[in-house]
Order: sequence, then structure tokens, then C-alpha cells
Amino acid sequence: MLTSIPGNWIACKDCDLLLERVATPPGGKALCPRCENPLYQYREQGIERTLALAITGLLLFIPANLLPVMSLQLIGQETSTTIYEGSLVLFREGLYWTALLVFSASVVIPLCKLMLMLFVSGYLYLGRSSPLLPYAMRYYHHIDEWGMLEVYMLSVLVAVVKLKGMASVIPDIGLYCFIGLLLVTTLMSSLLDHDAVWQQIEHGQGRSPA
Amino acid sequence: MQTTTARDLGLIRCETCGKLAFDVDHDGYEEHCPRCHGHMHMRATNSLARTWSLLITAAILYIPANILPIMTVTYFGSGTPDTIMSGIIQLLQHGSYPVAAVIFIASILVPLLKMVALLILLLSVQFKWVLDDRQRTRMYRAVELVGRWSMLDMFVIALLVALVNYGSIAHIVSGPGATAFGSVVVLTMLAATTFDARLIWDKQRTDD
Repeated sequence: MLTSIPGNWIACKDCDLLLERVATPPGGKALCPRCENPLYQYREQGIERTLALAITGLLLFIPANLLPVMSLQLIGQETSTTIYEGSLVLFREGLYWTALLVFSASVVIPLCKLMLMLFVSGYLYLGRSSPLLPYAMRYYHHIDEWGMLEVYMLSVLVAVVKLKGMASVIPDIGLYCFIGLLLVTTLMSSLLDHDAVWQQIEHGQGRSPA
Repeated sequence: MQTTTARDLGLIRCETCGKLAFDVDHDGYEEHCPRCHGHMHMRATNSLARTWSLLITAAILYIPANILPIMTVTYFGSGTPDTIMSGIIQLLQHGSYPVAAVIFIASILVPLLKMVALLILLLSVQFKWVLDDRQRTRMYRAVELVGRWSMLDMFVIALLVALVNYGSIAHIVSGPGATAFGSVVVLTMLAATTFDARLIWDKQRTDD
């Protein structure tokens, strides 16, 4: 059986040191005195920012994935590819495992992360509680590191250099949307203070009549 | 410095949401977090055994990942299969030094250093080596942070295969090395997740 411990006590994720929560100035970060692991940070309007970024990200997601990222010209012929298509081609080639990996890291997981964050920050912003909030936040935590848009961006640059000698490569409108999406999701992940969100979920639920 | 850990007081920290809870009956059974309903353990279950098995599998797959071709570029009828290393050498020959460096770091250096780092962490915890705990924790965090960048080559292959599709004039096909390499990246990422960094600090207690 487990019983809850008051919220002002925390333990470090990496070394289990027991600590009492201290007030940090806005933008400040609390580090574990023993292993220097970041414990929590204080951000003003954290939920509002997360909500705004999640909405922006979802708006950018559709053009970033469905518009061509770049086109290639070779002997008068032109081909273009979208991020969505890029991973489906591997499916057609029968490389299911590789295709699944690329497709989830570049499309499915970033989309799930945006939707989960929209749900969590939307509910918290409106001051409402839902029994699904802890689950949404838990799934977000588990898939967080598997969304790899920034790695994908670097691979676009590498692919351009690799093709340089073979054909002319033209960046397309989808690429600009993709860069926007990348900035938004990276900002969303780095600005999100998990600890603060969990506390809000906990207290929000405590306030609800049910 | 005060060095009371949560475990010293019978407290469990939820790995998902960070909630602290008191294990009333100290039975060590699987419990659910009062806040996020996830499983709670004092320490990750079989952390060392799981990390070992993932790391060994990754190390075995690292061999075909480097020996087998990751893709074949066919240009005007002639095609040569490329491994990760031969692709880097080609880039060097074409004078694309920065890109060659990026791929070398992401595809060769990072996976290798990551496996060595995990090996050191596992051995040091298993055999209770006396090393700087703070540095080992720092090493663990570095492993967690850089692992994803090894996926770079997988994305490059996917993009090239999708873009270069001109039938007999030019086309690119991916090879079995890509599957092996992708598995290495995923397995090492999972190994980093299953390793419980708190084990590094736990040994102090047993030494007392």
C-alpha cells in the first residue's frame, strides 16, 4: 500500500536524494546538490505558452507533412517528396521495420505529442479536470524522447549535400513549414516543466467536486 | 552534506511523474502511483539484467550494421553498395568535410561511445567499482541526450530512397545494414532508459 507524501518533498530522479522544495526566481532552475540533475524550473505562464505552442504546432503539422519538402531535378525530370511519403516508400520496398521507425519518429510521435499537450494544457488552462489528464501526461512522458524532428531536419541537410553532385535540389514550401514545426515542438519540449504540470493536475483534481 | 535518500525513509519516487509516496507495508510489491497511476518501484525492476541484454544485443547487431551495405546508389546503370564507412569516405573524396564529420559523429562515434559508456556504467555498478559518482551520472545523462542523433543516417536513407527514383537512370535502394543499424540505435536508446541511474549512488549504502 502507498500513501502520498506532501508536495514540498521531492527526490532527485538520478540519485534519489531527498530534498525540500525551495522557491526559485522566474526562469530559475533548481539543481540537485549531489548530482546536478535539473529538478524543476519556475516559468511564468507555463501553461499558456504550452497551449499556444501546441496549437501553432498542430496548424503547421499538416502543411509540413503533406507539402513537398524538396524536389529533385535530373535530366528534365522532377520528383518531389513529402515527409509522409518518405517513410511510406520504405514500406513499399518491404523494409517494414525501418519504415516503421522513420514513420513513427518523424510523423506519428510528434503528432501524438502535440495532441497530448493540447489536451493537457487546454484542460489546465480552462481550469477543468479530467480523469484522463494523468494518463495523457504519462503517455507524453513515455514517448517524449522518440519524436526526432530536429534529427530529421539535420538529415534533410545531409541528403541535400549528398545529392548535390547528382542532380539539382530545390527546397520546397513544405520545408519552411517543417522548420517552423521543428522550432515550435523544440520550444514546447524545452519550456515544459513536467513537475509544474503534474502539480497542477494533482491540485486541479483535488479541487473538483467529484 | 545531508545525504538522506528517499529510499532511506521508505519513500518511492514515481519514475513517470516524480511523486513521492510512502511504502507503508515495505513489501516491495508493484504499486501504482497515487498521482499518475503508473507502476511504482523502489528501483527499476531488473535494471541491470535488462540493460545488459539490450546492450549485448545492440553490440552484436553493430557488426552487421557496419559490414552490410546500408544503401545502393545506381546511377546510369552502375551501382555500388555502400556501407556506413564507405559512404563517409566517398563524402570525404568529394570534399564535403563538414557533412562527412556529421555522419561520422552520428553514425560511428556516438553509437560506439554510447555502448562503451553503458558498459562502464554496468560494470561499475555490478562490481562496485569506486569511481566518481557525479561524473558517472553526468556520463549517463550524456548517453541519454545524444542517443537519438544516431537516427540521422536512417532519415537520410529514407529521404534519398524517396527522392531518387528515376528508374534505370538513377535510383537508390536501401540495404540490410540499415535495418541492423536502426535496431542498434533503438536498442541502445532502450538500454539507456532501462538503466536506473540511482544504482550508481546506492552502493554507498551497502558499503557502510
